[in-house]
Amino acid sequence: MGVTILSQFPIDNRTGPQTIEMLTKRILALGSVQQGHFLVDCETYSSVQALGHQRSVHVLHNSEQPATVFSLLDTGTKIIPLATDGLFDLLMMKMASFYQSKKQTKAESKGPRFEIADFCVKLGTVTVSSNFKGVLVEVEYKPCVIPALCWELILEFLQGFLGSSAPAAPPAFLQNRMQEIYSPIDTIQQYLEHFTHFRKSQAPTMMMRPQ
Amino acid sequence: MEQREVRDIDALNAALNSVKVLRSNVRRVFESVSNGLRSDHGEDGKENKYILELQELLTTVNNNLREVEGSVANLTPPPGPFTLGNTTYLSQETTLERQQLYGQLVNNYKWTDKIRAYSVLAGDIFESNKFVKTHKSTNLLVNQKRRKPHAIHHNVPPEIIETFINGIGRFYNDMTVTANRPAGPNPVIQISLGRVFKAIIAFKGLIIEFVTVKSLSENNDLWSESRYKVFRKVSDHCNAAMCHFFTPYSADTSIKSYMEWLHSYITLFSAPCKGCSKRLNSNMPPTWRNFTTLEAYHEECK
Repeated sequence: MGVTILSQFPIDNRTGPQTIEMLTKRILALGSVQQGHFLVDCETYSSVQALGHQRSVHVLHNSEQPATVFSLLDTGTKIIPLATDGLFDLLMMKMASFYQSKKQTKAESKGPRFEIADFCVKLGTVTVSSNFKGVLVEVEYKPCVIPALCWELILEFLQGFLGSSAPAAPPAFLQNRMQEIYSPIDTIQQYLEHFTHFRKSQAPTMMMRPQ
Repeated sequence: MEQREVRDIDALNAALNSVKVLRSNVRRVFESVSNGLRSDHGEDGKENKYILELQELLTTVNNNLREVEGSVANLTPPPGPFTLGNTTYLSQETTLERQQLYGQLVNNYKWTDKIRAYSVLAGDIFESNKFVKTHKSTNLLVNQKRRKPHAIHHNVPPEIIETFINGIGRFYNDMTVTANRPAGPNPVIQISLGRVFKAIIAFKGLIIEFVTVKSLSENNDLWSESRYKVFRKVSDHCNAAMCHFFTPYSADTSIKSYMEWLHSYITLFSAPCKGCSKRLNSNMPPTWRNFTTLEAYHEECK
């Protein structure tokens, strides 16, 4: 598990599949090999009124860590992350009377996964309750665990195939944690940041064509 | 002192002789037993004659044995275990032809010993007949004579290695060194370089024998490669550097400069290449470090 940078790729006038296809071509031209697919999904539960102050729990799964369920408790003032094993899903079902799943908010990002030298690239199509929202590009540099050490290295790689769309600064979430050891939950936090952003935004004018 | 040595050697000779006599007499007993009754025992009472002969032989053997015991008791045991120095390693040799080396080594030793004795004599004679043409050359000769003999560093007491390894850890703030000894006195050390990687280094005495570089989360096995391409490449460069820095007669300086070089990898992920000023070349960071300037280079840019 290495440092991962997640960034949004603007789709401009293309459709989702067209964008993914274009990026796939670019990354394959760099010499990468496709290694299956990936899926990150997020479901949000919010506390019932009887519990008082409203809190929400985001439950996320990442196919990269298939035996782990990540949950983030958002109290409004701070976010408490938790990495648990698969039983947490069942626990949430038991707690259905306290935490209710918000319908229409299931977000997921899925698509092909590529490996190139020590980099792992994932091109994700983001859908919120089956509506296409945008494209997320995840780049992981596996040997390094300190974001500050390899940020510029990853940036150079991102510029290599995203061109001018590459981010200029590290993701907001990582900026305070550049010197700390990176862990899988940090990737999840970045996904949540983007999912929250996508949920609030209006659906893009281009709808995803049925696949 | 000399007298005692002569006495020791005489006693040893006597003891060896008595062992020889004993062996030959024991052999006669077995000969007689295996032959059984012979024609020269005649016809009358041949069994008795045979038994008498056997008894006689056994009495001789008994006497000889007593002699051996006596002469062995006269011997003075050596004061301590023999220190064979580096030749002890020859006993670990498995191939048959190399096992003969020991004899040759002893002959060689004797030969050099003689040379030494003769050269000391010659030196004395020259000293007493000083006839020197230039002043400079004598100085040179004297200097060479006084130079300390070089030691080879693959056979060093473990304590020295231990203090040396601890010294490395103290010298660099961002290098943590742990040593363990899976086989014998030669340590295998793990050096964690900041939070970049760890290097597993096998020593033979004070000489580096093998290096593997791995991610901090990987296991400490010396023989398996890292799963990351970049660390495999760095391992290769580390092994090449090990050969570059190798100097058998001053192993400590060699290790020190090697560690200095290894320490320059603290910027493995962050330093741009000196040659092309980029960080990535074929999707790899600059994995090579210049041996003298410690600058970062891609393998292709050096």
